[in-house]
Amino acid sequence: MFRILGGCMIFSGCLGLGMWYRYQLTGRIKALQELQSILELLAGEIRYGRATLPECCGHAARYLSAPFDEAFVRIGDRMAENTGISFGMVFREETEGILAALPLKGEDRENFLRFTAKTGFADGQMQLRTIEQSMELLHATEERQARENAERCRMAVGLGAMGGLLLILILV
Amino acid sequence: MENSILQLFPFHSRTLWQQAAMEQEHIQEIRLRAGRPVIVYMEGRERYLTAQGEFTDAASQARKMTEKELEEMLEHICHYSPYAFEEELRRGFVTVAGGHRVGVAGQAVLEADGSVRTLKNIAFLNIRISHQMKGAADRVLPEMYREGILKNTLIISPPGCGKTTLLRDLIRQISDGNAWGRGRTVGVVDERSELAGAFLGRPQNDMGMRTDVLDGCPKETGMLLLLRSMSPQVIAIDELGSDGELKALGQASACGCGILATVHGENRRDVERRFGRESAFWEKMFELFLVLGREKGKFMIKRVEERGERNVQNFGGLYDF
Repeated sequence: MFRILGGCMIFSGCLGLGMWYRYQLTGRIKALQELQSILELLAGEIRYGRATLPECCGHAARYLSAPFDEAFVRIGDRMAENTGISFGMVFREETEGILAALPLKGEDRENFLRFTAKTGFADGQMQLRTIEQSMELLHATEERQARENAERCRMAVGLGAMGGLLLILILV
Repeated sequence: MENSILQLFPFHSRTLWQQAAMEQEHIQEIRLRAGRPVIVYMEGRERYLTAQGEFTDAASQARKMTEKELEEMLEHICHYSPYAFEEELRRGFVTVAGGHRVGVAGQAVLEADGSVRTLKNIAFLNIRISHQMKGAADRVLPEMYREGILKNTLIISPPGCGKTTLLRDLIRQISDGNAWGRGRTVGVVDERSELAGAFLGRPQNDMGMRTDVLDGCPKETGMLLLLRSMSPQVIAIDELGSDGELKALGQASACGCGILATVHGENRRDVERRFGRESAFWEKMFELFLVLGREKGKFMIKRVEERGERNVQNFGGLYDF
């Protein structure tokens, strides 16, 4: 009875390890999706509300989850204080820490922040385009990552299960 | 609002404008032109700003603005989103926090029908500093009421003689209530954002507690809209300019609204001639005519004329700087 229970525990432990590894692999994809949804919110504010970029951040904060919601409120507040620091700089300062904590690569962070370096368009369509370009780049990365991950995720879970079985055979 | 002109400038150029910000109360205009000296109009005279941010009377010591600086400044003023200020730029000015107005000029981009689509290569900025003079209307306020009822009033003034300042303070005092009349709901159509100095729809000047402001809306449309939506007891507009506006004002008056308006002109005759309307027309619409002017650099209420009368009263200075 204890042997069977021990075997089950070893198996589920190894399988869990494989699943955790799979979760890590999919984390980047989820983070990329979250960044795209943030940019989509900002684009929507410009498209329908013709809002300024700081206003967009203030409005979008209501629809974002932690920790981005607080960061976006801070961006809106800091811009409203009118300290003279550019929007791009404030946006970078407030989001860099959060982005660093996410399972993202440097290129993902740069692609997300790319639109902040291109402001000052008199035409709203041009400003929208810069945000859409960032979204397209993030989306392309997400798709590539998803394709690569399919194999890796299967392997991670499979190896976890196989490893568990092997340990059971050896130990039990 | 103290030192609020500093907020017009990006962070890196604020040290240059520190002294100007301290003198904000005395500054009327700041003229910035690409490749030209920075000119500050203060206390009725022209001064220049040096590279150290100090005032000078010598044009040779003046600091010159670069195109890049103007570009950065405009971007900052527009919150890094000039697209959101498209309409304002088309009209040629942007109102900023503090109620100051930044006029812009450059190269016009035209639509097929000849209307201005936008301005590009902006190389000239004119910052008009907003000064709210509380108490500017104190001297005329007793004349504005008859047994607690507000008289329909037209303020006639040449440009730059304080008509907007007077109207703004009248609105505030009529809205809040004063010794001669209780507070009334005032509807203000602020087409050029000069009265309320609204920034993102919120008045930056004190317009009184019972005042509703319709910002950036054409006066003719705005008056009718306010009549329908806000039921004002008094409607106020600045710079009456067209027959359509006169008609809308007439409609407001017919609805029982009190009316306050300003118009460009030297005197009543000048206004009658410009609009091609007889004196009787104006007297039907307005009971009181305030004629402003300037004497020895001071803003003056030159005449206060009642309907049917052409009494000349000298009320002296509008306010003292």
